[in-house]
Amino acid sequence: MAEKFSVVGKRITQVDAAAKVTGAARYTADLKLPGMLIGRVLHSPYPHAKIKKIDKSKAEKLPGVEAVITIDDTPKILWARSFRDLPMAPSGSLQQSDEYILADKARYVGDPVAAVAAVDEKTADEALDLIEVEYEKLPFVLDPWEAKKPGAPVIHDFAKNNIAVHVTPPPFLVKGDVEKGFAESDVVVEESYFVGKQVACQIEPHTCVASVDANDRITCYSPCQLAHPFRRELGKMFNKPVGMINVISPFVGGSFGTRLSCHNEPICVALALKTNKPVKLEYTKEEDFTATDTRTPHYYTIKMGFKKDGTLHAFTIHTTTWSGGYLGRAQLAGGITLVWGLGHYRCPNTDGWCDVVYTNVPLGGAMRGYGNPEIMWGVEQTMDIAAEKLGIDPMELRLKNIKHAGEMSNMGLPIESSYLDDCIKEGAKKIGWKEKRGKRKEGKIRQGVGMATMTHCSGAWPLLIEHSNAFIKFNEDGTISLMVNPGSPGTHIWGTLAQIAAEELGIGVEDVNIVTGSTDVTMFDLGSHASRSTYVTGNAVLEAAQQAKAQLFERAAKMLGVSPDELEVKDRQVYSVKAPDKRISVADICFNAIWALKGESLNISGKSSWTSHYNSPPTTAYFAEVEVNTETGEVKVIKFITATDCGKAINPMTVEGQCEGGIQEGIGYGLTEDYVINKKTGVVESDNFTTYKMLGTLDMPETEVIIIDKPDPKGPFGAKGVGEPGMVGIAPAIANAVYDAVGVRITDLPVLPEKVLAALKAKSA
Amino acid sequence: MTRPLKPFDYFEPTTIEEAVQLLRKYGTKAKVLAGGVDLVARMRRRQFKPQYVVSILSIPGLDYIQSDEAGLRFGALTTIRSIELSPVVEKSYAVLHEATNQIASVQVKTMGTAVGNLCVATPASDIAAALYALGAKLKIAGPASERVISIEDFYVGVNETVLKPDELVAEVVVPNPAPQTGGAFFKLVRTAADIAKVNATVNLTVTNNTCKEVRIALGAVAPTVIRATRAEKALKGSSLEPKVVEEAAQLAAQEAKPITDLRSTVDYRREMVRVLVRWAVEKAVTRARS
Amino acid sequence: MAEQKVKFMVNGRSYEIPIEPHMTLVEVLRDKLDITGTKISCGAGECGACTVLIDGKPALSCLTLAITARERNILTIEGLAEGSNLHPIQKSFIEHGAIQCGFCTPGMILATKALLDENPNPTREEVKRALAGNLCRCTGYVKIVDAVLTAAEKMRKGGS
Repeated sequence: MAEKFSVVGKRITQVDAAAKVTGAARYTADLKLPGMLIGRVLHSPYPHAKIKKIDKSKAEKLPGVEAVITIDDTPKILWARSFRDLPMAPSGSLQQSDEYILADKARYVGDPVAAVAAVDEKTADEALDLIEVEYEKLPFVLDPWEAKKPGAPVIHDFAKNNIAVHVTPPPFLVKGDVEKGFAESDVVVEESYFVGKQVACQIEPHTCVASVDANDRITCYSPCQLAHPFRRELGKMFNKPVGMINVISPFVGGSFGTRLSCHNEPICVALALKTNKPVKLEYTKEEDFTATDTRTPHYYTIKMGFKKDGTLHAFTIHTTTWSGGYLGRAQLAGGITLVWGLGHYRCPNTDGWCDVVYTNVPLGGAMRGYGNPEIMWGVEQTMDIAAEKLGIDPMELRLKNIKHAGEMSNMGLPIESSYLDDCIKEGAKKIGWKEKRGKRKEGKIRQGVGMATMTHCSGAWPLLIEHSNAFIKFNEDGTISLMVNPGSPGTHIWGTLAQIAAEELGIGVEDVNIVTGSTDVTMFDLGSHASRSTYVTGNAVLEAAQQAKAQLFERAAKMLGVSPDELEVKDRQVYSVKAPDKRISVADICFNAIWALKGESLNISGKSSWTSHYNSPPTTAYFAEVEVNTETGEVKVIKFITATDCGKAINPMTVEGQCEGGIQEGIGYGLTEDYVINKKTGVVESDNFTTYKMLGTLDMPETEVIIIDKPDPKGPFGAKGVGEPGMVGIAPAIANAVYDAVGVRITDLPVLPEKVLAALKAKSA
Repeated sequence: MTRPLKPFDYFEPTTIEEAVQLLRKYGTKAKVLAGGVDLVARMRRRQFKPQYVVSILSIPGLDYIQSDEAGLRFGALTTIRSIELSPVVEKSYAVLHEATNQIASVQVKTMGTAVGNLCVATPASDIAAALYALGAKLKIAGPASERVISIEDFYVGVNETVLKPDELVAEVVVPNPAPQTGGAFFKLVRTAADIAKVNATVNLTVTNNTCKEVRIALGAVAPTVIRATRAEKALKGSSLEPKVVEEAAQLAAQEAKPITDLRSTVDYRREMVRVLVRWAVEKAVTRARS
Repeated sequence: MAEQKVKFMVNGRSYEIPIEPHMTLVEVLRDKLDITGTKISCGAGECGACTVLIDGKPALSCLTLAITARERNILTIEGLAEGSNLHPIQKSFIEHGAIQCGFCTPGMILATKALLDENPNPTREEVKRALAGNLCRCTGYVKIVDAVLTAAEKMRKGGS
């Protein structure tokens, strides 16, 4: 299909970029409301402690302090950062709500215990020091294996052996008979892996501004990516109908999944309600690291059985998810490892389980990839182990077992499109797979190449509700307002949606004004997660544009005296395909529609309330070329290639940006980002960029992004999701490359030089 | 957000004498401000809570790099960046150039002073390690007359120096390199913008194929930067054959007293001392001979 | 310590405001002068988001006591464009897609300006070195470095 798009597929610059380069863009911390107070939170210094008494009196007496709150000043309603005790899944699965707004008992170092609102930062800071909390320290447990043992400290009374929940895969991934399958396999590989906590490291600290108006309506300015579900959760927590709450999204300085949840917003709202004034609550970077959430860590065992020709025949995953003191998003993060892992390759016999275990550490969340990077770390290494045992090239083993269009996806629906084989072949060619693989040189510095693959999702239907709305109205000058609320943590989604609307309506991208960021104004959108925005909100925009176009053509047909069926629109002109001289500008149509004085006025518009019934999973192949210094164990990534099948790339510049950023994040996950908790105190030692190292300019390798660019039948103009795929398979590709270089395999990330050197020494001993 | 600092009284003396008098008056309740990179960060974390801050930024004549027969000298306000960019440092004091050059952040190097870095007294200081290897001396100004001490006598422990509360480091002096001297600096880091896990600096002089003088400085493997004196003894007077170099590297590894922390482990640090010292000796020898 | 009235020169304008010595420059810019383009992130000197230029040199405003910046020429991101005419660096960042969430952008652009004022013809490696003190989580730095090189070329040609 030869496509000739006007704006889709073009490297369009972003309309919000000008505000960002001039400093005009207002992020939540930049907001100033009249009479605004400054909020600060007091966090528990202990990993597990009873809160016996809180003496607020000294803090309250400090001039300039307007409120000091503890749990008694808040609605004692349990809530969940995942918003998941309110059904969001067709299966009806729920996640326990296990947190109060301020703690009833301290369950991790960082647990919010009290909060203040004062006239300025200096006073709020002083007030914190004046709050006296009497703790009774309790024995604590930082490790899920210890936490599961009988006699371990009880973190939540309802969780026996600290197991929050036992999760099994969705029915479509419990297939065949795994025991029989392993017995029938010629090669069986079983290996255990550990993936630790990765911090989102978004540059903007988590900040909220909340206010209450004279009609008791709450306004919450928040970077939360899921504004509408968040509003519902706030309504539940504060016993207010959702119509009494407005969630406004200012510019957001990155999220990477940590802002799927809200963190300090409920505390901020509580302070605003208590003082009846606007309150700004900004976290420090240290609070981001310890009191919001991280990527959820897991221990898991993978077992894969193969026939000797390389066909995958049996596959199990057993995960122990290392939750923090509250679930955060750990339940879904754990359960979904089974979906990503078991659902990626074709296999007739699959099963697994996941135990989510409470411990006294900071919370696990839904960082970019939401379980997929975590599980593919192990799946893709196991594939390489198997390939070696089978005597099959790892690339061939992937090609043999990956799924194709029409087969059942990881979400249980037919795969609408998959070009993973193209990704693998093109990436392999570019990295020089055949030339470099297995050619381990002797010498102190050795090179290797490795690969990984993955399948993700474009939205999470049918595992989660998938619903987005879009409204388009034409202005009299032929420009449009496009009202959507996908949330934008910086992913260029507004530009992508503008391209979709502009393409369908035959107008310019610059004619699209995005109206967004308020739950009062916008219709429902689930928000920005599961790489859904281009695919689901994009389809809503496309349908809304189609409706608006139909109205446009109906009016134009009357004005031109032709049938609407013969009309097309391009370059802001509607014309008859039969008689192209019969044309009229979009602007004229829109102007006339409103200002026609014959009593037939119409503001041309289109609306879509879209529910996704498909799932077009994006796929990606990753190739790493590394250099391992056998004297120091250091792994240097020389080149990284990401070959991605995200359907039709609406904006190739955006797709590249997602993949390039994903490489930075994935290399950090795999090599340098180590979240260290002091075993004696439960205190997080790596609590800022000084101690927790993500890559800077000098650490990045040469990168290349290959966009396969073949359209999907169900995506808007053929597009699929791309936000998360950019990150998923980076770390295992590197681990596999290290094995190619020096023959050692590190199963717990990050792959620190200390581990590589120890493994090299053990190997040569 | 970033926590506001706790209020303090602030002074901007215009002479060293005035500064020293203020420091004498306020003693341990006062801190000296130069670049502020370390001081302000620690004040934010409440690791320091000075009631008085004495800025030396208004004292003229402290920002210089001079090189003559007496050696290389730089002052209390000489920035790390200016040392990095100095042609004479790059040419004749390679290890100091390398140490400053490998600090990643331009902003930190532009604001931060080398003397300030020395006074923080982190055992991982790249600059201190390089100056150990160069045999640097520090001129200390106090209420009595100036005293000059070897940099090796400056450090007592982690973040601890011999500076009394009413003293300031006024100048760093590095002796002129002898002919046929070469040096090399190596460090290992988690990412480019990180404090060293281990650093090793070697400065040596080779005459008639014999190692005449050698200094080996190790950072981040003891409570202060240390000289690997046993390793130096093994090299001195030798012809620097690979076997001797390896033996010296082993000795250096044994002299190190590393710990495990969030950056690295005891075993790894010790092993890396051996590797880095060998690398540094080999490179220093090549440079000395050229 | 008592407040004292101090003069600041920010983006070519003069301000005289009461401050206390413990206030950092970033707090004065954002809270007292309402110039919020300069961002706060780590507060520890590691991320560079708070970078401003003081007398043309890149400084971390979160670690600079405001009083030490008095009467010196401070340039924040708001001072780069001339009216609605964006600086070549700003234009280049936009054209290259070098901005995603935008939070690191002000600091990144000012560090770039400091580089190009000192070295109008940097290599790719020199650009990376000049930006090594500015962290970004969104872009992987690839398009940022591309944008800087393009801006350098345009500025050398005297264009915009």
